[in-house]
Amino acid sequence: MCTPPFISNIKSQQTKAYSSSLSKYSDSRISMAIHKSLFASLLICLLFQISHGATKERLFSDLEKGALEVTAKPSREGVLDAGIDKLSITWKLSSTATKEAEFTTIKVKLCYAPVSQVDRPWRKTENELFKDKSCPHKIITRAYDKSPQSFEYTLERDIPTGTYFVRAYAVDAKDHEVAFGQSTNEAKSTNLFSVQAISGRHKSLDIASICFSVFSVLALLVFFVNEKRKAKIEQSK
Amino acid sequence: MRHFQRYIYATKNYSENLKELRAKRLEKNKTHVLSQEERVFFSRLLGTIMAHHNEDEGSVGTSMHGVTAREQVFSFSVQGEDDGPSSHTVRFDDPTAKFALPVDSEHRATAFKPFSFAKPHMRAFHLGWISFFTCFISTFAAAPLVPIIRDNLDLTKSDIGNAGVASVSGAIFSRLAMGAVCDLLGARYGTAFLLMLSAPTVFSMSFVSDAGGYLSVRFMIGFCLATFVSCQYWTSVMFNGKIIGLVNGCAGGWGDMGGGVTQLLMPMVFHVIKLAGATPFTAWRIAFFIPGFLQVIMGILVLTLGQDLPDGNLSTLQKRGEVSKDKFTKVFWYAVLNYRTYVLFLLYGFSMGIEMTINNVISEYFFDRFQLELHTAGMIAASFGMANFFARPLGGYASDISARFFGMRGRLWTLWILQTSGGIFCVWLGRATSLPIAILSMMLFSVGVQAACGAIFGIVPFVSRRSLGLISGLTGAGGNFGSGLTQLIFFSSSKFHTADGLSLMGIMGMIFTLLVAFIHFPQWGSMFFGPTSDEKKSKEEHYYAAEWTEEEKRQGLHEGSLKFAENSRSERGRKAASDGSSPSTPPENGNPAHV
Repeated sequence: MCTPPFISNIKSQQTKAYSSSLSKYSDSRISMAIHKSLFASLLICLLFQISHGATKERLFSDLEKGALEVTAKPSREGVLDAGIDKLSITWKLSSTATKEAEFTTIKVKLCYAPVSQVDRPWRKTENELFKDKSCPHKIITRAYDKSPQSFEYTLERDIPTGTYFVRAYAVDAKDHEVAFGQSTNEAKSTNLFSVQAISGRHKSLDIASICFSVFSVLALLVFFVNEKRKAKIEQSK
Repeated sequence: MRHFQRYIYATKNYSENLKELRAKRLEKNKTHVLSQEERVFFSRLLGTIMAHHNEDEGSVGTSMHGVTAREQVFSFSVQGEDDGPSSHTVRFDDPTAKFALPVDSEHRATAFKPFSFAKPHMRAFHLGWISFFTCFISTFAAAPLVPIIRDNLDLTKSDIGNAGVASVSGAIFSRLAMGAVCDLLGARYGTAFLLMLSAPTVFSMSFVSDAGGYLSVRFMIGFCLATFVSCQYWTSVMFNGKIIGLVNGCAGGWGDMGGGVTQLLMPMVFHVIKLAGATPFTAWRIAFFIPGFLQVIMGILVLTLGQDLPDGNLSTLQKRGEVSKDKFTKVFWYAVLNYRTYVLFLLYGFSMGIEMTINNVISEYFFDRFQLELHTAGMIAASFGMANFFARPLGGYASDISARFFGMRGRLWTLWILQTSGGIFCVWLGRATSLPIAILSMMLFSVGVQAACGAIFGIVPFVSRRSLGLISGLTGAGGNFGSGLTQLIFFSSSKFHTADGLSLMGIMGMIFTLLVAFIHFPQWGSMFFGPTSDEKKSKEEHYYAAEWTEEEKRQGLHEGSLKFAENSRSERGRKAASDGSSPSTPPENGNPAHV
């Protein structure tokens, strides 16, 4: 949408035009403000560029499927507790992989299963890689090694309640994803595990909140009663 | 015997004192019109003579009271001096001499000095708008933190949307009730009650563990938005009608800024608490203590520093004869019968309502759509609400300027233009796919919609004189209603993407803004039609006196409305100035309660 060299040309032309027209008024403050606003808009354009990088057109469907064999084994049965329970994750090169030469880094991420994406558009799966929000939680990033790798992951305390699987992206030297492997099947229906988030509540917080609430109500009542009493005394005088 | 002696004393000194005064007058002003001092002298003299004829003790002038010009004189004004309460200057021995600002005869300030904190007027202004500001912070405090809260409580889009609806719905009822509360307890206690009784609801965010709890807490916090009413009520009793438009516009606009500041404040507080070591799911709960503290502190400040009325607090003044209050049933009846009330209710719903909806959804929108950091999204969302600082007063000012040239028609067209352009930019915001365009359209949208809020309250005072307070309250409640409605339709289900919801909301707003065309005043016309040709009905007096029954008119209760009608002739625009029938200044007592 905005191209920096073009903008800087415009900017220099515009600043020249502005300077000449403003020299009559010789108000350096107006020109400063205009320079600042142009600079700010330029900055915003740059920010936008940076935030999108060059990943705009890369699609998930272009990645090589099943290039890595990934397993994720929960430390115990049932619903796992965030912050306490562990996953033991392993990944190794699959025999069907073809782009192995490009692999430099492996990024392992925790991804939402479809059931956790229902009615939650902020977790939606999109084909454009930069838009895809189904794998927001990073587990580990490691340099690519031919031998099988493993990692013991303790579920972070900011993992929300939901159903998950593990996916490992193989990334090339340009930081572009080229292949991936995941611990579940293509329909994302097998080998899923559930996590229960921490509540975030603390007894000390609860007590503090009660104390301040009581203080607030009491202070009001004290003021009210006091003033009514003073008014009565004044009236009886 | 004492009376007679004083009488002699007064008449003996009469010739000397009066000769002095007359010489001074002729020397200085060279006029035969009596000077102020002479008039006062005569009135006191008259009082003393009257007292001589009066056997009672304690009636006017029976003591030396008034003769030495140092005591307070009671109301024995000479006829012909009465030209309206707000045009009286301060009498030289009036207790009003102790006010820091110039005041009128009701002790309401006639000047507005925003940088002053003088007791009681400017102090009331600042306490009022900051309390309202604090409540806006609390009500919308959850909005920028929703990305964290939705993960902690496992919320769905419908949960978030419903909680947003709940957060603005409570105030529909509390705003309606607040007028009565202020009448009963005074503005000070109205504000303090609301602040300090809703602070526990803010603190109780620390207990929330599921969607239902989240919704109920946001609903309860939302009640405190009724501070809008108490703030405007407080400024209306403290400031004279000629400047009340500007004062209320500033108080309303600066208070509304709280919705913007909270988008900046809460992520920052959250970030700092996280840095201090808390996990995100605990940090957001601790962050809610900040708005809670602010409310408690403001409540205490209001109680200790504030004053209900210019002369003192309500409880101490209540024993002196207050002006008899109008009957609530009558006020309610005339508000409900006037169709313009409902039109304004809906119009405000799609200006203030849209603004409040945006406060609830915009931070999450920028966070999700443009993959920004939480505090970056908050910063952008904050600039929406912060535009209120100048946008709302600007709207009121634009309305006043257009009224000067085109009268009420100008006001209506200004409102339509501002609100429709707000709607257009809202549609553009929904369509924007790049961040700079989204920010630009959001800023233009914010100015349009907030100026429209100011413009609506440029019209509200003229709809009714008798039921002004209630209509202002109903209009304010309409804002909350519109916000609840738009959030329910567009932002609570997965049917629409948030972006589409924004565009559709803009279109709906533009459609409802067409209702402005239906506001018709018989004396001034409407957007497309002129005033009625009926001789009697085209008088402002007819419109405002129609709110009083014959019985009440006979009792003279409608005097205030007649005075207002005369001053409202300025709403005829330039024609009024050419008629020479009235001054072109905005009506006195014109815009009291921008509730």
